[in-house]
Amino acid sequence: MASYKEKYLAGYLARLFLRNPLTMILGFTFILLGIVALLWMPREEDPQISISGGVVMVSLPGASAAEIEQVVVRPLERRIKEIKGVEHVYGIASDNVGIINVMYYIGENREASNLKLYDKVMQNMNQMPKGASTPLVRPLDIDIDIPILSIAFYTKDATVSHPVALYKRVEAFRNSLGTTPNLAKTELKGEHKEQFNIEIDLLKLAGYRIGLEQIHTALEALSTELPEVSNHSKENKLVLFGVKNVLESVEDLQNVIVAQVGGSVIYLKDIARVSLGYDVQNLKNASISYKNADGSWTPLQEQVTLSISKLRGANAVTVADEVLTKLSAYQSELDKEGIGYSVTRNYGERANEAVNELVFHLLISIVIIALLLIFILGWREGLIVTLTVPAILAVTIFIAYMSDQTINRITLFAFLLSLGLLVDDVIVVIENIHRHLHSKFSKEKSMDDLLVEATDEIGAPTNLATIAIILTMVPMAFVGQMMGEFMKPIPLNVPVAMAVSLLIAYIFTPFLASKLLKKPKKHPGENNDATL
Amino acid sequence: MMQRFEQFIYLILCDVRKKRLVLLLTFLAFLASMMMFPSGSVLAKMLPSKSTNTFSIYVDLPNGSSYYETQKVNQCVVELLQKEQEIQNIEIFNGMGAPLDYAGLVKGSSFKSGEHVSEIVVNLTHAHHRDEPSYAMVHRLRPIIQRTCESLVEKTSIKMVEQPAGPPTQAAIVIELYGDESHSLNALADEIKRSVVQHPNLVDVDIMRDEVYPKLSLHIDQEKALRAGLSIEYIHKMLYMGFEGMDVSYKNSEHSPSQIPLYMVLSDDSKALSTMSKEALMAKLNAFSLRNAQGMLVPLSEVVRIEESFSTPTILSKNLQKMVSIVAEADLVSQVYPLLDVRSAIKKTLQEKYEIENTHLFDLRLMDKQSGEVFALVWDGEMKVTMDTFRDLGGAFIAALVLIFLLMVVYYKSFALSGIVLLGSFLSIIGVVFGHWLMDLFSKETFFLTATSLIGFIALMGISSRNSLLLIDFTESMMKLGIEKKRAIALASATRAKPIFLTAAAIILASTLLATDPIFGGLGVALIFGTIAAVIVSLVVVPVLMDNTKAI
Repeated sequence: MASYKEKYLAGYLARLFLRNPLTMILGFTFILLGIVALLWMPREEDPQISISGGVVMVSLPGASAAEIEQVVVRPLERRIKEIKGVEHVYGIASDNVGIINVMYYIGENREASNLKLYDKVMQNMNQMPKGASTPLVRPLDIDIDIPILSIAFYTKDATVSHPVALYKRVEAFRNSLGTTPNLAKTELKGEHKEQFNIEIDLLKLAGYRIGLEQIHTALEALSTELPEVSNHSKENKLVLFGVKNVLESVEDLQNVIVAQVGGSVIYLKDIARVSLGYDVQNLKNASISYKNADGSWTPLQEQVTLSISKLRGANAVTVADEVLTKLSAYQSELDKEGIGYSVTRNYGERANEAVNELVFHLLISIVIIALLLIFILGWREGLIVTLTVPAILAVTIFIAYMSDQTINRITLFAFLLSLGLLVDDVIVVIENIHRHLHSKFSKEKSMDDLLVEATDEIGAPTNLATIAIILTMVPMAFVGQMMGEFMKPIPLNVPVAMAVSLLIAYIFTPFLASKLLKKPKKHPGENNDATL
Repeated sequence: MMQRFEQFIYLILCDVRKKRLVLLLTFLAFLASMMMFPSGSVLAKMLPSKSTNTFSIYVDLPNGSSYYETQKVNQCVVELLQKEQEIQNIEIFNGMGAPLDYAGLVKGSSFKSGEHVSEIVVNLTHAHHRDEPSYAMVHRLRPIIQRTCESLVEKTSIKMVEQPAGPPTQAAIVIELYGDESHSLNALADEIKRSVVQHPNLVDVDIMRDEVYPKLSLHIDQEKALRAGLSIEYIHKMLYMGFEGMDVSYKNSEHSPSQIPLYMVLSDDSKALSTMSKEALMAKLNAFSLRNAQGMLVPLSEVVRIEESFSTPTILSKNLQKMVSIVAEADLVSQVYPLLDVRSAIKKTLQEKYEIENTHLFDLRLMDKQSGEVFALVWDGEMKVTMDTFRDLGGAFIAALVLIFLLMVVYYKSFALSGIVLLGSFLSIIGVVFGHWLMDLFSKETFFLTATSLIGFIALMGISSRNSLLLIDFTESMMKLGIEKKRAIALASATRAKPIFLTAAAIILASTLLATDPIFGGLGVALIFGTIAAVIVSLVVVPVLMDNTKAI
């Protein structure tokens, strides 16, 4: 039956799958795998760029900037520059403290880089000047350090300011997030912690002839806390006793005796204003002003921002959603205290929007191409191409999923870019089948032979052209720097899509053609095809 | 239709003059497209701006400014922002950076600390429901905000920070000055800043260094202190406790997430100075008495003397060399062209005082004519990333060319045919450049040739080589059937025209949606117009080249 002898891979594949009952199942499996991958793949807006670096901080109290530069920054910089893979070292020498900022080449392995930096600093501990603090080494971690979600909490009534209550509430919510999976770091900004403020009046101090350090000593004594005393009674029983903490409330504090002048006792309240408030000395604060529904602006008011980072490779969308779900469950408790919030950053939502929009673009493009093909090739041929395109994309997405990639803007652009290229193989095959079906010789050949031959005929140049496209993309994978890393999904996915499109074109185009296309009924002679 | 096209090709092939005309026209088109780069018709940029839902404003007052002064500037900025329709909320982070974002990562937002800095985060309505893109808004607001609010406190710098479309960079233009001596380095930086500020398209120009501000320093008279029975350490500690405050003790509480400190400080009324002056501090220290070991109170003013001095600025170095950097943002334009302008301006204004030499690429070496001090001027920031990216992509492109050529040589075993395929694909650059020029003509903002355009061009190479390939293959099989060469080529072009058009149409249609994207617009345009050029080249120019070669 098989009178045509295949010469290329194209023909073999076409013959192998043409009458195979599994072909259909294979097709559906591909599509299914693609859908699963699309749904499960972690979504992000931008691809993860591996930036490694770190900060080394050394303090040397009392040293001037120039001294710090000489004895701390320079020697450390020189040592750190020795590390392989370090691109730049920035030294910052100011009074009392020296900071060294280390940047590795883009794409250096992060864990190894962090370790190398830590190692180098520790090895050179003995060269640190006398009196210098232990160097603080803090690695920079872009995936963890960039929060994907930030929520600003504020009191709804702008006239009431109770920073401590706000902080406690947010802190409580932050603690309740502990169980959320894939959560990396939560951070508060603009929080004000509770503290007893003892504001001493200088005039009264002078009036009572008391020194500042007397108050200090008196207050310090309050916190002496020792464990309870364990003693034994004569009946050999255990007796425990301890001193109860004297400090419970503001009143307790106000009534602390700071000095005795002559016969009179001087209490803390006589010379200072004591209150339980917030850390007034902390001038780092955050405020927010937002637009009401009617378009008017609220005045700037105190806020606490909670920012949330995810673990590397986690899905930004699900992490953000989970936190926000927990937040709405927490709503009633926030309401009770008159605390409102607004989500000031949600990269999860942005990632989801970007991905969904691009998937939509992808679908529109497929439809447009399908319409074009139906218009030019006829609806059956057009339909064949339209059916193979999702299969190609599905397999490509699945391979991307398997190779631990995330789905982001650049990955999808790689798909959009390859969409124009990957229909080519199918079009070339279907066009050749179409041409063969309408040629004069079609009558004499069996349908199977005709399909295989048509596929096989363009096998060599199509293989070659596809390899050419793959080859053009390969060098792009070696582009360095940030931009190279950023664009990496393109050289990673386009060649895969091309290779897949080639196989799908050879396997499914003849198969679908055998199901959907028929030899033209009319006499081939009427077809004024001058070519063959 | 097909026969007419076949006849058309055949007629060209049969007439030497027509063949020459085709090649000449192609060459002219290529030349014209190449001329668009030096003439500035097509401008290059790494990545265009992206419309996002947020931007930040960095408020940097000179070092030594107070919290209240910073607040005043913030208030001014916020009042201007509140007039905007499309802003949803405004957040101010005083004395620290906002939660880190991609721009802040490289701009050092997390290192912000001190009373003189703040970061304002502006959240806009959703980009889809807004007519004005965020970059246009920033462009519009920047002069208003800077004009009104920067003047409130002298030397204030307000920077508008947009989220980058691609990888973040410290700034569009970073001029790094290296030298051995801080003083002369700073003086040179000032001179260069003057040249940079004058450029109309460069904004947010700032020298990244600490301002020197006046401060007071106390000198303790050791002899007097000893006689008064006060140790230096004790004086120091009491001063700190009184005016800065200290946690003297802690209280544990089950209702608080952390220990509650007992913070002791002089009351605001008692510690505030009437003015920032030596005299006012002395008056205050006169009232601030310390108790000595004998229990006597000694006013601090008796044992100290106050001197006016200046703060010591931070010394910055990069790769072990002292460095001062000047940053500038390009306002809606590519940073490449302002950079070249600024570079020649620097050369012109500084040539009297310095001997200037060109070093690597755009970098300069300056030598002070009087002192003989040598400075190096290095361009960094987005400019460097752009240069590196374009260089690398150019390299990738050349590598792609070589690989395709080798592949063809392996397949055809002929250099001439491989050359034709390669030339055919290379000529699609005409379409890429013309496409960008056309888009620039018709779009409101400048349409840049970007890194993604280059990626598009590289991808095109493969596509157009496929066209030539199929053509050559078909011609060869025709000729095996005994058809004469010119006729075979014409026949092949006509037969292959349909799939070539079809695949081209598919690429063009698939890329139209790409072309509307701000970042991948370049890629889309490169693919669309490059494909059009590739079709014309494969159907007309390649047949002519094929006819001219003896390899078939």
